[in-house]
Amino acid sequence: MKSSIVPLTRTTVKVTGRIFKVLPMLLGVLLSTRVVRAQQAPDPADQDKQTIRMLLERVEQLEARVTQLEAARQGRPAVAPTLVTQQASTPAEPETETQAEQPSEPERMDLSKTLLRMRGFGDITLHGDNHKGDTTSFSLGQLNLFVTSDVSEKFKFLTEIVFEAGPDNAVGVDVERMLLEYSPSDYFNLAVGRYHTAIGYYNTAYHHSTWFQTTTGRPFLFDFEDKGGPLPIHNVGVSASGLIPSGRLGLHYVAEVGNGRTSRSPANEPVQNLVDENNHKAFNLAFFARPESVRGLQAGFSVYRDVLSPANLPRIGETILAAHAVFVRPKFEWLNEALVIRHAPFGLSHVFETPGFYTQLSKQFGSYRPYFRYQYMNESNREPVFPDIGLRHGPSVGLRYDASESVAVKLQYDYTLLRRQEAVNGLALQVGFTF
Amino acid sequence: MLVAAVVWLKPAPGWSFRGAGYAQTTSGQSLAIIVNQSNPVENLSLTELRRIFLGERSHWPNGRRITLVIMPPGEPEREAILREVCRMNEKDYNNHFLHGLFTGEVFASPKTLSTPVGVRKFVFNVPGAIGYVRTADVDDSVKVLRIDGLLPGDKDYKIPMQARLAK
Repeated sequence: MKSSIVPLTRTTVKVTGRIFKVLPMLLGVLLSTRVVRAQQAPDPADQDKQTIRMLLERVEQLEARVTQLEAARQGRPAVAPTLVTQQASTPAEPETETQAEQPSEPERMDLSKTLLRMRGFGDITLHGDNHKGDTTSFSLGQLNLFVTSDVSEKFKFLTEIVFEAGPDNAVGVDVERMLLEYSPSDYFNLAVGRYHTAIGYYNTAYHHSTWFQTTTGRPFLFDFEDKGGPLPIHNVGVSASGLIPSGRLGLHYVAEVGNGRTSRSPANEPVQNLVDENNHKAFNLAFFARPESVRGLQAGFSVYRDVLSPANLPRIGETILAAHAVFVRPKFEWLNEALVIRHAPFGLSHVFETPGFYTQLSKQFGSYRPYFRYQYMNESNREPVFPDIGLRHGPSVGLRYDASESVAVKLQYDYTLLRRQEAVNGLALQVGFTF
Repeated sequence: MLVAAVVWLKPAPGWSFRGAGYAQTTSGQSLAIIVNQSNPVENLSLTELRRIFLGERSHWPNGRRITLVIMPPGEPEREAILREVCRMNEKDYNNHFLHGLFTGEVFASPKTLSTPVGVRKFVFNVPGAIGYVRTADVDDSVKVLRIDGLLPGDKDYKIPMQARLAK
């Protein structure tokens, strides 16, 4: 058996001697390292206690946060409960609409507040014409406060509060629209309150703001009731609307049930806000398409039905048939609408029909938008409900100048032919604005 | 001479006007459309996306309300969305939403957040939210939607940034 003992040579002796010199130093370093480690690492039992203490503190923090969130979310279940678990795993900082980042401690956004938003619209007009009895006047237009509020994820409130001067120059206040909307899906939306009846296009596209409109005013057909308009512009009741699954055709529907318009006396408030003069409700059904292939195009029709109860007259069935085709893009619009109002007194075979239409064309060139409108309405002389309207037709031309994103100045000339009266030449200069 | 002037004025690929001179663009980047991780939607057509960004669709297929989050005017991301998706300028876009809210067709106005981090956090927080950030600003807290089946970075992806570089 070969010996494992290696004979000592000069070299090994030299190395071994160095090792003996270095060894105490290494031992010292090792021992000191052990001591340091022993000082740094706590006892396992202490470590567990510390961990438990930290976890308990964290649980308390989370419990406090959950309590805070629950209190904040009362009445607004907008945030899914799953978020709480997400928060535990991935904290996120709060964010408001204007702030960028905050180096604060992790916190959820406060989504519990209902947001009340207000937008205002107004206009002032200088107008004059050659119609007998009219005077050239400055006129305060409607001062419109448009208020919306996100009541909850599926509910929204909307109102238009309008301050307006009447023929006696006194300023009054009207709640022109007041709606609580419930929107569970794109296919079904329900609104209750006072709304603009979905007859044709103009009435729901333009409400109480001239700033939105290209022209200085609404077409004759869609004049407000208190301005002598023949249509039930406003209604109080229920309105359902939504998409109809139709692919690229983009079909929509609107179905409305409401009180309809007052007919008993022209002196009465035309909108039946509180009490209907009869038990029959006004129904309106509208369909329109917005085809995907021609963006800006909308075409549709509507049928409105009510029973009127004018004083000293038999009850009258009112049917309004309307059709429209409009093409609206930011720089171009072409509106076309036609309708007929049919009044059929019960017990009589005669039906009084009032046909009407308008076409409106405009194109934007920079800040300028020249426009043209021709409108026509022809009411029978023997019309039993609204005898004052008669025949009106004629062109309007004008120019809209957008002085800023919120201010528009319009100059419009109207030439209106009337039955058995002198034609009216009118000129209007209007400044409309939003604020 | 006119042709020469047009050629001179026309920015070269990858460059665009910025102030009085040129600035290199981030045309290599794309804009990612992001939604909450819990949103079951994976893909949208560009038309559907346009309808959402114009407020013409207010609900996801699962019934949850869509909350649109956008960046303020002047941000390159917003400019890209208006140009590529909405096909409107700033004024027309604002008017569209104002008119939509006025008629009631738009259920809620968009939320405006000033930074990509803010947008991302909002989308993370709100299950029905949809927003947009540059691809470089995407992280795991949000889900990136396919647009017409394509993700940012894919060939033929339809929402390039093509915006100016940082100031």
